[in-house]
Amino acid sequence: MHPADTMGQTREGAQYGFAFLDEDAKRELRRSIFKAVCIPGNQVPYASREMPIARGFGTGGMQVTLALLGPDDTCKVIDQGADDSVNAANIRNFFALTCPGVTGTLRTEEASVIQTRHRIPELPLRADQILVFQVPYPDPLVVVEPNAAKRRRMHGRADYARLWVKLYEDMVAFDEITISHRYPTRINGHYIIDPSPIPRFDVPKLHQADCLYLFGAGREKRIYAVPPHTDAVPITFTDVPFAVESFRDKTTGKRHTCRRCGADDSFLDEFLDDDGARIFQCSDAAWCDMRLERLEAAE
Amino acid sequence: MSVLDLPRLWRPETHQALFRRILDATARPGQIADLGDLLDGRPAALAALATFCDNTQTLADLTGTLSETDLAFLDVGKATPEQAGFILARGADAPGFIPRLGSLDAPEGGATLVVMVESLKDGAPLVLTGPGIKRTATLAPKGLAPDWLAARARWCADFPMGVDIVLADATSLMILPRTTKIGA
Repeated sequence: MHPADTMGQTREGAQYGFAFLDEDAKRELRRSIFKAVCIPGNQVPYASREMPIARGFGTGGMQVTLALLGPDDTCKVIDQGADDSVNAANIRNFFALTCPGVTGTLRTEEASVIQTRHRIPELPLRADQILVFQVPYPDPLVVVEPNAAKRRRMHGRADYARLWVKLYEDMVAFDEITISHRYPTRINGHYIIDPSPIPRFDVPKLHQADCLYLFGAGREKRIYAVPPHTDAVPITFTDVPFAVESFRDKTTGKRHTCRRCGADDSFLDEFLDDDGARIFQCSDAAWCDMRLERLEAAE
Repeated sequence: MSVLDLPRLWRPETHQALFRRILDATARPGQIADLGDLLDGRPAALAALATFCDNTQTLADLTGTLSETDLAFLDVGKATPEQAGFILARGADAPGFIPRLGSLDAPEGGATLVVMVESLKDGAPLVLTGPGIKRTATLAPKGLAPDWLAARARWCADFPMGVDIVLADATSLMILPRTTKIGA
């Protein structure tokens, strides 16, 4: 049966086309995604339709995901690594409402499409998986050039001198590069992208990956991509190596571990317990749960 | 004609399935996307156009193989190969045009060429390298005039400008983004 005849039956009164967007909107998104993959790192403009949530809450990622999803997909949505935060849960519910047939999952290994806000899952993604990023600010040059047309010219000519100067000024003022997230990353030796606010910890996962990475910025109306097996190099100086978060205790020098699963190699969230003590826990909830399951099975 | 009677190639769910296979092939040049089960006997080249074309796009059909009905379903504007966003061409005929290459500021304006060949794997093998390819991949097109490779090399010489090519035989596709390097 044609999806137009089966969809929209999921909730009383809700009559949505499959994947919410009309076919023209999806086709436009697909054209932009296609060109984005063909020109790695290039920010391709697209129309960015109105979504039923405000721009800035993941509408770019949602539109890319909706252009991808078919009824045989399994979809996971994470926000800072967690499946159960408000943003992730609402977007997942929206996909369930508007994409009948699509299976939701919390498990990274089960998903064919993963939409993420600000993390790359700890579990290495496979070639048959696509990671869709929600992007607030797509252009890394915005910190050095306010004029969008000039930024386009600079990107086309791979003219990133002023970005290097910004990093150099960091070294002069602070003795280190002060960018903690959204670290400018050069793709295939040409375009420098803003990899969305992922921590430095996740940036190396962009390099020569097995999976396809797609980036959707709803407010700024840009789509870009890092194809699999593509160079993705965080920009730095030869005498100042790129470093990821170490999670070392400043006094003991030992790396903090997750209080739930004991992981000593994952990205950790730091917070205070009721007594004011600092505690650390995996930011990737699915990874933490998987490790706990394995530990329990081993016992 | 009701929605239920739409030929399979023009149904939204077919376009979604086609797009995912085309996207996978775009991300992995050298990998052949078999579309056979989605086509109902229609050519794979037409399926690529059906996935991407609508009334905001322009097409130059240099093959004359598109029927009036196909063109009506595509609902795409006609243009010269120099101006068109999409070009449908026969691989056996050497290209006699210069397609849109985009600009440095907007390289995504470079044309998408759908080139029909006899086969994607029965010709002399070419070695592919570039983004999306782990070490090397192989392309062995049969029915692609050698002039195409020379022309593509010229068109794609000034990255990020260039063209992206969809090679199509009867039932399958292979994609050559402008970043793919072709060696012997």
